[in-house]
Amino acid sequence: MSEDLRNAIGSLLKEPATVASIATLDENGAPVSVPSPFLRLDADGRLVHLELLETSATHRNLLRSIWFERPVSVTVAGSDNRVLVTTGRTYKALVSGPLFSEYYREVRARLGDADLAAVWLIEPEQIRDETYAVRKEREEALHPFHLHLDRLAVRHADTP
Amino acid sequence: MTLALARKFPGTPLEDAVRRYPDVPRLIILKTDVQRRGVHYTEEAVSYLDPEKHQTTGTHIFGARDGVIALRPESLLLRDGTSIITTPTPLEENPYVVDLRDGRPWLFDAGVALEEVDYWPAPAFYGKDSSSGVPMKNIVSARPQRLNIFPYRYCTFWNNGKGCAFCDIVTQLKKGSKELKIPARLDPVEVGAVIGEALKEEGRFSTVFLTSGSIIGGSRPFDDEIDYYIAILKEVGKNFRTPKFPSQLIGTAFEKEQLKRLYAETGLTSYTSDIEVLNEELFNQHCPGKAEWIGYREWKKRLVDAVEIFGPGRVNTGLVAGIELAGPHGFRSEDEALERTLAEAEDLARQGVSTVLIVWSPRPDTALGAYKNASLDYYIRLARGLHALRVKYRLPIEHDSYRNCGNHPDTDLSRLLPLWEE
Ligand code: SF4
Repeated sequence: MSEDLRNAIGSLLKEPATVASIATLDENGAPVSVPSPFLRLDADGRLVHLELLETSATHRNLLRSIWFERPVSVTVAGSDNRVLVTTGRTYKALVSGPLFSEYYREVRARLGDADLAAVWLIEPEQIRDETYAVRKEREEALHPFHLHLDRLAVRHADTP
Repeated sequence: MTLALARKFPGTPLEDAVRRYPDVPRLIILKTDVQRRGVHYTEEAVSYLDPEKHQTTGTHIFGARDGVIALRPESLLLRDGTSIITTPTPLEENPYVVDLRDGRPWLFDAGVALEEVDYWPAPAFYGKDSSSGVPMKNIVSARPQRLNIFPYRYCTFWNNGKGCAFCDIVTQLKKGSKELKIPARLDPVEVGAVIGEALKEEGRFSTVFLTSGSIIGGSRPFDDEIDYYIAILKEVGKNFRTPKFPSQLIGTAFEKEQLKRLYAETGLTSYTSDIEVLNEELFNQHCPGKAEWIGYREWKKRLVDAVEIFGPGRVNTGLVAGIELAGPHGFRSEDEALERTLAEAEDLARQGVSTVLIVWSPRPDTALGAYKNASLDYYIRLARGLHALRVKYRLPIEHDSYRNCGNHPDTDLSRLLPLWEE
């Protein structure tokens, strides 16, 4: 896995305008994707997702993921249109202890009277750069048969 | 279980069981087996223990399997937030081993590293003393998310020698008062003050738990026990803004009027009364004090009555699972034990009472101490069966869950119960 991309996620997550979401699989294998407003990268390179509600679909799916080895996916989108998508495994749910309490205080400082069910640590296994400009360039170079021909056609004066 | 994991742990009993029960999480199977076989902490694992950061053994109402009181981790946390409540066990009984790997504690079996574990974190109030100079941890103890109050460390069923056959409360009381200076009976005001101190730690506790030995005295039997609980819960309640607070009491099976008082006069929100074994003859044998003062059928009736007061899903009973197979009068096979236990549990579930199991740890100073507990398969099948009853009868078990207790593999499975209200 590229260290550069991992560092890029760290940098993106430091920017306030960045938007992150987490996707998990439910009992039937259907994806559930929700915002992850507190997402960050820890010192060990793991993604940290704060789950506020014990019975939320995502919390239960994350538990399913750690129990039955199901993948999860995290998308981070920056204001400069950079999009990085991580797939990985749930490594740990912190439910008690100094680190949990620290995040608990942070959540409450930001949201007021809120609770925290668990601090989920996700081990990235693959990070893909899904930024449109990057993907487009690669697509055109590697898969020329996917283009619409009009994009390559000679432009006539009367073509709008 | 993926093939990758299977290759990682070839041939361990854990791995074999995981293959047999693909619907049961590997971590819960591991927890169950560690509870079943116990643990041994290597010197390195003990040296990792830091009483400033971790909870150490000593404050529990029941004793350790090796009969020793020494500085050791109170218990373990797995990666999914599940607690393993287990006791140090002599090496010759083949326990799991906790040792260090890359400087962190791990569970090992036969030299194979299975899972990393955390020691339970020490709560902030553990370093403080009460107003009477008693260490606060000897008044209120903690689990990762729960506050424990063991206000009375004796059980009056032992007055005439009729305590339960698996129970070492009296031996532990003697050890506790001599070696640890734990008061045998707590002052309710002091308990309330310690709870107040504990609540200053943000993001730590989800519930208050209270249990003691049975107290037969009073104008009606067990009125003294009820009065004592009410006195304590009232003091505890002074720390909350709301009249009710998340809480669990494990008490004797009380009469309806007693239960009504308990509910009306305190902030208590759930009630547990442990029947220990779901078979009348075995109950009479293993719990002679309970049989003498209340009786098996009456015990069950009182559990059902409690549902009217606390609500469905807020009343349950516990089994010391495995004692039903121990001794000359136990069930002859695990299949028979499962069938008969689950049939009686279903009868209770139908009436709104959940049944939960703890894995029996045979302790040295008890009548059943020389017997072995059941097989891992038995505990997995029983946990699955009790969980299935909760699904069938739509019984939540949040008051006795991994957060609020952590001692029941079957309620760990209930973390994924359907959300019926949605
Ligand atoms: S009721 Fe039985 S298990 Fe409970 S404390 Fe008394 S003797 Fe021990």
